[in-house]
Amino acid sequence: MAAPLLSAALRGARGGRSFGTAAVLWKRAAPLGPMPNEDVDVGNLEELQRYRSFARYLRQAERAGREPRWWNTYRKHSEPPAEPQTDIGLPRERLSRAEELKERKRILRENRQNAEMERAARLRTVLIPLDEVRAEWERTSGPFHKQRVAKHCGVFRDLFKGATFTPWVALRVHYSQEDEHLVPVYYGNMVTPSEASSPPAVSYEADKGSLWTLLLTNPDGHLRDADSEYLHWLVTNIPGSDIKAGKEMCHYLPPFPAMGTGYHRFIFLLFKQHSPIDFSQDARPTPCYSLKMRTFSTFDFYRKHKDAMAPAGLAFFQCQWDSSVTSTFHQLLNMREPVFEFVRPPPYHPPQVKFPRHQPLRYLDRYRDTQEPTYGIY
Amino acid sequence: GVRFASTTASLKTETEVDTSENEVVAPNFTNRNPRNLEQMALARKERGWKTTWPKREFWHRLRLERTQHYVEAFVERSNGDVVVSASTREWAIKRHLYSPKGVAACRNLGRVMAQRCLEAGINFVNFKAIIPWEHRCDSIQEFEKAVKEGGVVLHEPRRIYQ
Repeated sequence: MAAPLLSAALRGARGGRSFGTAAVLWKRAAPLGPMPNEDVDVGNLEELQRYRSFARYLRQAERAGREPRWWNTYRKHSEPPAEPQTDIGLPRERLSRAEELKERKRILRENRQNAEMERAARLRTVLIPLDEVRAEWERTSGPFHKQRVAKHCGVFRDLFKGATFTPWVALRVHYSQEDEHLVPVYYGNMVTPSEASSPPAVSYEADKGSLWTLLLTNPDGHLRDADSEYLHWLVTNIPGSDIKAGKEMCHYLPPFPAMGTGYHRFIFLLFKQHSPIDFSQDARPTPCYSLKMRTFSTFDFYRKHKDAMAPAGLAFFQCQWDSSVTSTFHQLLNMREPVFEFVRPPPYHPPQVKFPRHQPLRYLDRYRDTQEPTYGIY
Repeated sequence: GVRFASTTASLKTETEVDTSENEVVAPNFTNRNPRNLEQMALARKERGWKTTWPKREFWHRLRLERTQHYVEAFVERSNGDVVVSASTREWAIKRHLYSPKGVAACRNLGRVMAQRCLEAGINFVNFKAIIPWEHRCDSIQEFEKAVKEGGVVLHEPRRIYQ
């Protein structure tokens, strides 16, 4: 089967016009890696292990589809190859793993000997306490999950140009409303600008005598330059977890995502300082409503102070325009409110061919500069 | 891309020297947030793959994997990146369960998964990647009910074309 195709391709080469088959047929060479199903012994098919169920086949097929291949795939074309990421966070404090495992095995053994738990599981009435599960999750696998979500929301790519960190310190942020209602900020949830109009209550576990820095930035909202961020809040040299006792370098400005621009990320970063740092260069005047002064780059800020502090906590929320943003623009920032609208990218059409095959008459409409449809005109 | 459409007038008349430059706004606004387009229902869904199953026409998909020993749930994008996951392999969940597999485990995993999805801002999820005859199982039904009760909507909104 390969021979007629190959000769046709070579005839095409001599004729001058390309035949249009795959490029691998131009020259016979060994494949660049193992062919799929090469390890299957075709002569001994009776001994082959069968799937016996569709679910097992589907799980293996999905796992095999995610593996990297030596031939060109759409995944290689669309995603850039993953570069090794520098870790800029705090070093991990590993407690004794053997002790931990022993304790866990003991608890599991107790569970399995507990008749009530067995009855609840059999009758399907067991409901695990979600808040205890969340507290334990924050201590064990929470930092890794938060890092993963932050990576997918582009936090590390935009703030630190690819360098990642694992947020070991659980940062609890919540905005309190007038009716004693609390709006928490987790890793990516929706908060409206009217809910975020006053500074939030921030709490985290801190040793006595340690110093921290809290930063709130908006990497998406810059009205002039797409690569810089707006600084909304900067509190430095916080002793322990008492935000009020820290030095506020930049006072809190409520979020102002412009209308029509969609959802903006507002990212809380908690840095752990090894020693008191002089942030006088980053100090903004007390009522700072000038957007030029609020223009900020977390990358430069961190690079300036990276010897003395490391990022330890992370929390972010998504925010969309609402009517309180209009009053922020008019009263606080003293400017006319900008309104944007979404412009779709133009639809893609392949390069025009002189004799298109199997195309309707409106093929010509796609390449004409003026708007003259060929249908619906009679 | 986002284009500057109009401005609304301010009521304040006095101008301060500090804020005089605020008025200068670039005509084209770029939002770098990768979740922006999908939250506005404007992002593309992968519409091909019509001859295979499961299809990839979603922004986020909820996949439940039940093995002999554990139950795992993943919320992933169409290119395979896992965004939120929960599994009975984690110590936080395993310690409260008698057995890490089974209907009770699936139900509690659904509750935990719904809480984590809402915290991560994922409110709409595609739950079509279940084999039809397996969908009738008690464990998958309980998982689906628990995730729905947790507040996550199990079908994604249609993309806005016009």
